[in-house]
Amino acid sequence: MYTTTHKFAGVALAAIVAVASINLQHAMAAGQHGGGHGHANDKPQGHSSDGHMMGGMMKGGHGHAFEFGEAGQAADVTREIEITMRDNLFDPESISVKAGETVRFKITNKGEFLHEFGLGTAAMHAEHQKQMATMMEHGMIEPDRINHKMMKMDHGAGGMKGMMMSHDDPNSILLEPGKSGEIIWKFTKPMDLEFACNVPGHYESGMMGPLKVK
Amino acid sequence: MLKRNSTRFGRTLAGIVLSTVLIGAVEAGEYNISVDPVEIDAGTFTRAGIGYNGASPGPVLRFKEGEDVTINVTNNLAESTSIHWHGLILPFRQDGVPGISYDGIGPGETFTYRFPIVQSGTYWFHSHTGFQEPDGAYGAIVIEPKGREPYRYNREYVVQLTDAHPHSGHRIMRNLKMKADYYNRKQRTVFDFLHDSEKMGFDAAMADRKAWGDMRMTPTDIEDLQGFTPLINGKSAGQNWTGLFKPGERIRLRFINSSAMSYFDIRIPGLKMTVVQADGNDVRPVPVDEFRIAVAETYDVIVRPMEDKAYTVFAESMGRTAFGRGTLAPREGMTAAVPEMREPPLLTMADMGMAHEGMDHGAVAMPEGSHKMPDGSTMKGMEHSSKDGMTHKMPNGSTMKGMDHAAHGSMTKQADPFYAAGSGLLPSAADGGKFLSYADLKAQKPLYKHRAATREIELRLTGNMERYIWSINGVKYADAEPLRLRYGERVRFKFVNETMMTHPMHLHGMWSIVDNGSGKWNPVKHVVSVAPGTTLYMETEVDAPGQWAFHCHLSYHADSGMFRKVVVEGGPKAEGS
Repeated sequence: MYTTTHKFAGVALAAIVAVASINLQHAMAAGQHGGGHGHANDKPQGHSSDGHMMGGMMKGGHGHAFEFGEAGQAADVTREIEITMRDNLFDPESISVKAGETVRFKITNKGEFLHEFGLGTAAMHAEHQKQMATMMEHGMIEPDRINHKMMKMDHGAGGMKGMMMSHDDPNSILLEPGKSGEIIWKFTKPMDLEFACNVPGHYESGMMGPLKVK
Repeated sequence: MLKRNSTRFGRTLAGIVLSTVLIGAVEAGEYNISVDPVEIDAGTFTRAGIGYNGASPGPVLRFKEGEDVTINVTNNLAESTSIHWHGLILPFRQDGVPGISYDGIGPGETFTYRFPIVQSGTYWFHSHTGFQEPDGAYGAIVIEPKGREPYRYNREYVVQLTDAHPHSGHRIMRNLKMKADYYNRKQRTVFDFLHDSEKMGFDAAMADRKAWGDMRMTPTDIEDLQGFTPLINGKSAGQNWTGLFKPGERIRLRFINSSAMSYFDIRIPGLKMTVVQADGNDVRPVPVDEFRIAVAETYDVIVRPMEDKAYTVFAESMGRTAFGRGTLAPREGMTAAVPEMREPPLLTMADMGMAHEGMDHGAVAMPEGSHKMPDGSTMKGMEHSSKDGMTHKMPNGSTMKGMDHAAHGSMTKQADPFYAAGSGLLPSAADGGKFLSYADLKAQKPLYKHRAATREIELRLTGNMERYIWSINGVKYADAEPLRLRYGERVRFKFVNETMMTHPMHLHGMWSIVDNGSGKWNPVKHVVSVAPGTTLYMETEVDAPGQWAFHCHLSYHADSGMFRKVVVEGGPKAEGS
């Protein structure tokens, strides 16, 4: 099981490093906006040039596509899965979907701390954990809230003027305590994925689960 | 009657057998423990010692939160004994401290403890009589919570450390009293002095030497008991305790330091450890590469080895005089490389808690009496300045002008506010990365509502190393009045460590809330380690009537006087009082 993941991860990782190190700017989808893309108006979004969180997964400049699927359309939704996030765990603990299926994930944070629901491979999550750790260090996210003011600040250092960090990708949602949101995702091919919360320490202590695409 | 003889070896969660009987809605378990003379095989030596149910360490007692336990302790020794349930919140008559909770358990007698389990997590138990604990009388306690824990794992192991010594506790105490540096094999020689002279010039080296002489201590006084063999779950580095796993599994390691005297720095090369619990209380998960465990502390970490290979659990003593080693492996018999021990640290003038002329402390402008934490918050708990400038009583009774700790420029990212700036003890991760600090510990769910303390009590940790007398506020236990607290108050304890040793302070019966600048998220512990040259604050909600022990958990410090009786006055009538 891990062999497959790792082989895939190797390719993905190289690409991620290249993109993420140049541009950490992400599109924005703070979950408290009920699944909307609240901050999307602030800046251009969704194009390959703006470097998604998992930008490395994009294929040949087709902005919205990931190796394992793409942002889905509401009209295509064939299945809904409710996800409850608590401190620090998910209900349910594992998910199984079919290739070709478009799924609406309805996510509620019933914990007292900030949690993320993200879809990806183990390697993508590992990479995203580093970014979330940086965001925590910079005060952009705090244990129980998103610091929207800090999110908009310029975190560029040295020659990296204008580098912004934010948290938004079609495959991930960050929710403050009590908030809910949704992700619509089309799974394109059979593979082993994970759903995970990459807030520092959460994935490591078990806030993740296998997502099998059959 | 159920007899539990749990092994030290982990089991998958599904494998846990709940040997409790249901009486009404309340679970009740009955347990039997015998206190026995045993032989301790430390690999490097064997000796007569004391164990529980015929072995040292004793069994892992597994309780359930909400359970009412009955524990029958039978003393098969020729001397009196006792069992203290370290970290458990219970009626004071059940706390197991002879002379404070009860009279102890005479030879041949059975004493029955009865108390409700009102908490969950990793704890331990040990004798509170003489030096029976250093002689082997300790075991582990694991309490399963009522609700879901804020983390998941597939497998768990207790990893209990001790510093087994070939000498009996009584003999060690005699030797220390006779000659405090009896067990210090790391003493500096004339050659070290010549080397220092070369480096710092003869005068500076001479002055440095004189200062140490005046302190009646030496820079190598990190471990005043050396010559021990660290054991992990009763096994030496060579005997290699091994915990099995399947790659990809999450393993919860419940580290318990049951040593008499030794702190350990713990790492598992190749694995990140995520700290999820400290002293039995959940903390917000902190991924680290290494952590230091004080005597009597517990830390629960989760690791996730992905590869089909062995990993070494490496525990270096803080003074680097010995190491413990165990292995996590997919199969029995597999081993991984065992790292070299790092160079022993030397205490610095900063650990004396005083300025040393000629040393540049790089004073920069900082707000009077506050330390900026790496995260930008202000750390009230580390306030070292006082109105009239700080003075330190030296162990020999002389007074020295202290340095102004408020004017330090060395608070860098790597600095740890729980060590004196410039301290020789400041740890860093061996393979790079993150070393856990008390500053990282934040309660996952605070046990108490945060409020201002109603009273502050200063406790200076004091000692005369030459005579091997350890004390609080300069008074040893035998000569001290009990510390009187009132039920319902929230006391802020100010520990000022005026000695050059690190003291793990343990208050029985009530929680110790460490002020690490996190406000309502301050972590809740039962042992608070106070490094030399530092001041540390902890707060206690006085919510347990009766009388309790409060002491340094280094066995020979506690016995020689760094100990107080605490009397909680008022409140609901204490059981048995």
